[in-house]
Amino acid sequence: MVNPILLIIVPLGTAFLISLTASFLKNSTKYLALLAMIANVWVSIKLLPEVMQHSINVVIAGVKPPLGINLFVGPSGAVFSILISAAGLLILLYSFKYIEGDSQHKYYTLFLLLITGSHGMVLTGDVFNLFVFFEILAISSYILVGYEGKRNGLEAAVKYLILGSIGSVLILVAVALIYQEAGTLNMADLADKFGMIDPSKRLMILVFFITGMGVEAAVFPLNSWLPDAHSSAPSSISAMLSGFVIEVALIVIVKFVYSIFAMTEILGFLSLVAVITLLVGEFAAFKQANIKRVLAYSSIGQIGLILFAMSLNSTGGINAGLMQIVNHTASKSILFLVAGFLIVRTGSYQISDYRGIAKKMPVSAFFFVIGVLSLLGVPPFFGFFSKLAIIIAALHTGSIFNTVMVFLVLLGTVIESIYFLRIIQVMYNRDGIVDSVKEAPFLPLLAIAAFAVVILAGFLVLPQITGYTGGVASEIVRKMQMAQVF
Amino acid sequence: MNGVLSISTVLNFGSAGLIVLGLYIVFTQKNLIKMVIGIDIAETGVNVLLVSTGYIKGNTAPIFSKAGLQVSSMVDPVPQALVLTSIVIGFGVSALALAMIIKLYEKTGTLDTSKIRGLKW
Repeated sequence: MVNPILLIIVPLGTAFLISLTASFLKNSTKYLALLAMIANVWVSIKLLPEVMQHSINVVIAGVKPPLGINLFVGPSGAVFSILISAAGLLILLYSFKYIEGDSQHKYYTLFLLLITGSHGMVLTGDVFNLFVFFEILAISSYILVGYEGKRNGLEAAVKYLILGSIGSVLILVAVALIYQEAGTLNMADLADKFGMIDPSKRLMILVFFITGMGVEAAVFPLNSWLPDAHSSAPSSISAMLSGFVIEVALIVIVKFVYSIFAMTEILGFLSLVAVITLLVGEFAAFKQANIKRVLAYSSIGQIGLILFAMSLNSTGGINAGLMQIVNHTASKSILFLVAGFLIVRTGSYQISDYRGIAKKMPVSAFFFVIGVLSLLGVPPFFGFFSKLAIIIAALHTGSIFNTVMVFLVLLGTVIESIYFLRIIQVMYNRDGIVDSVKEAPFLPLLAIAAFAVVILAGFLVLPQITGYTGGVASEIVRKMQMAQVF
Repeated sequence: MNGVLSISTVLNFGSAGLIVLGLYIVFTQKNLIKMVIGIDIAETGVNVLLVSTGYIKGNTAPIFSKAGLQVSSMVDPVPQALVLTSIVIGFGVSALALAMIIKLYEKTGTLDTSKIRGLKW
């Protein structure tokens, strides 16, 4: 058995190692980061088949739960670990050519801390520990957003930091109330005891927790930081923030609502919020002229879609939401990574400046089209199957409310297709105004191609993928129990 | 106190007051430094709330400082451990926030969020 704690220790240790050795390794520290990420991918892939048989529980520092801190790795933890480490590895490869300058070791240190925080949030079995990992993730992403030190990036980072701190204050209030009322911080123990708490206090805890996490997950009224932060960050970081960081926060919310708080009566409200998030994101994206703001607003729309699928209160819905997460991670990473070199080569964020760029950067433009088509859900790309699964799951519930919501979701998709196809039309315009730009280097294109393979070949391994996501879904809808865990 | 107001009630209301005050400052002030102060006040409120959850009337600090101290006569140590962690995190975030604000001030020459108009606030 591989120990899942490696997923947290390896990037954390390497992050410190990089800062220690930076003075004499200089920019070669990136190879340390590469080794750590390869190890992470290997551990998470080894972990998955074991976890599908039975969940792994790791006791830390020899104190048994519910008193000690533990890692609890169920199918959801393992699947998300693979998603995080695989996307992380590819984005790291992209960063090798994309990040330049002499202080690269800072970038790679923070990069690995972001990976540590994401892994910790999906693997931990302790509520306060979740808060600590949330802070690791949040603090490293604040700094990475402002990494380039430009005015827009710093401004977005400060804004993100202020809103993120409010979110973490609210999460900490929820943690304090949980300890006050239930007397435990262990998730499985809490799931057992949560039902005994006074209903009004239960609702209070839930509201504080969802609002706090919702800031990071960019659920509608709490997402005003996202378009700025995701569009001002270096493109590799935008890909990470959009690709899995907001999804990690979202899956924590979903996991708490279903399997720990077991308050499924809140789901109707969540799906309403989700559809509003989706429409707000898509309508706002429609108006943007800056390519990265389009992609950032589109991420808000996608988060709405995923939350909608996951709040259907059915295994099928969660399953569909997870497939959509995989699709969004792959396709949005492609789009942000391609946009990164479009911006580097042309020096402009404006879509209108990319007229005819497909002639000069054919490979990048080709991958951009693949990413867009999968995000829109065009067959035979992976996005088609995930969107189809969401619609089937929603109609399967048979309620009129969900049917209306499906129409709104489809409306969102129509808007999405209009603004994305407009970008493609500009890129493939015949009378180009762009000249003397080079294609992106080989290594970044390789990373982008690997994401493209996921969404192109996704439907070939669809039964396997749904097998795993189905395992995650049935884990999430089931209430966590102390007896099952230990 | 004669049962009119227990310490727990005072602490609960006090912490709620601090949190509301802190968030009010963040949402109403336009000066970035004041916003950071607001966050600090709200964090202090949460820390008070956390530490008050472990309070048991009449018990001592959970430290074996003298011989003969019983575990049953101590307050709950878990919230105190939590609050230490949360204070350290809060300190780190404030330091980072101020460092970033200094950088931002160098670029823009102002701390007023309504005058920093590169993005929408």
